Amino acid sequence: MELIEASTGYFAVSCRREPKTGAGTLQRERQLNQFLAEVERRALRIAQIAVRDRDEALDLVQNAMIKLVNNYASRAEAEWPPLFYRILQNGIRDWHRREKVRNRVMVWFGRGKADDEYDVVAAAPDPAGRSPEEQLQSGQAMQRLETAVHGLPARQREAFMLRTFEGLDVAGTATAMGCSDGSVKTHYSRAVHALREQLGDHWE
Amino acid sequence: MNDPKEHDEFAAKAKSTFDESVERLDGAALSRLNQARHVALKNLENAEASANWRRWVPAGGVAAIALVSVLVLRGPEVDSIPGEAAADFEILLEGESLEMFQDLEFYSWIDEAEFSANGNVG
Repeated sequence: MELIEASTGYFAVSCRREPKTGAGTLQRERQLNQFLAEVERRALRIAQIAVRDRDEALDLVQNAMIKLVNNYASRAEAEWPPLFYRILQNGIRDWHRREKVRNRVMVWFGRGKADDEYDVVAAAPDPAGRSPEEQLQSGQAMQRLETAVHGLPARQREAFMLRTFEGLDVAGTATAMGCSDGSVKTHYSRAVHALREQLGDHWE
Repeated sequence: MNDPKEHDEFAAKAKSTFDESVERLDGAALSRLNQARHVALKNLENAEASANWRRWVPAGGVAAIALVSVLVLRGPEVDSIPGEAAADFEILLEGESLEMFQDLEFYSWIDEAEFSANGNVG
């Protein structure tokens, strides 16, 4: 049984492995392709909100895909979502650590990073066919939400995005975050409370 | 502010706002994601080959340990020094017994005499 170390101790992920055959590999590839195609866009937006840079977010998502395929392709399909998001969240945390060090070095040399380089609303045609006004309103709502979510403490942000945006249940979120179910509930509840205070219940 | 129902309503609205932003992702981003997925899936074959190779690692490890154990326990076939020869060697190494070399003929005669006395003469 494989154990994954968590901040609060140890917990088991799984010991199940699927049988492998030639045809099985092809089927596995199809399943992985379908899974990744389903999660990739939400994963990109989640990473983008966390790091506020689309290219960096794309790299993080690609790395998470590669690691999932390399290390967990043989796992049961139901385990992929929490494992994928665990890899992605670890990548995001590492990215923030590197950024902190980089910024410290840049400040030392007198070249701090500008914080407002990020363009939230991508200039693209709306696939839903909404008017520019509707798009603008929706874009502004997302911009406010995005800014508020980004301002949350890291663990609250992770819990909120995984539970709300990705729709993982408490157990899946706990696996993805590497903590207990109780911690997830606490982080999530605090996140929603903070966001509602900041945005109000009917933000637009 | 802590009503679970209000929490759920807020979360539902946040989710729909987020989903709309996902739908608005531009073509460049979707293309990059598509490429990333294909790059990742290309690794599947290598990952499986590597997994197959790794599957034999424990068996190889056990075999190597068994081989080393056999070699250590049996050891190489080296001619062991008999006890008497070892005693002679010890005597030779002692400095005070160097005088013995001066009377080698005498000791040889004693040795032969003892051999004859025991009736071992062919």
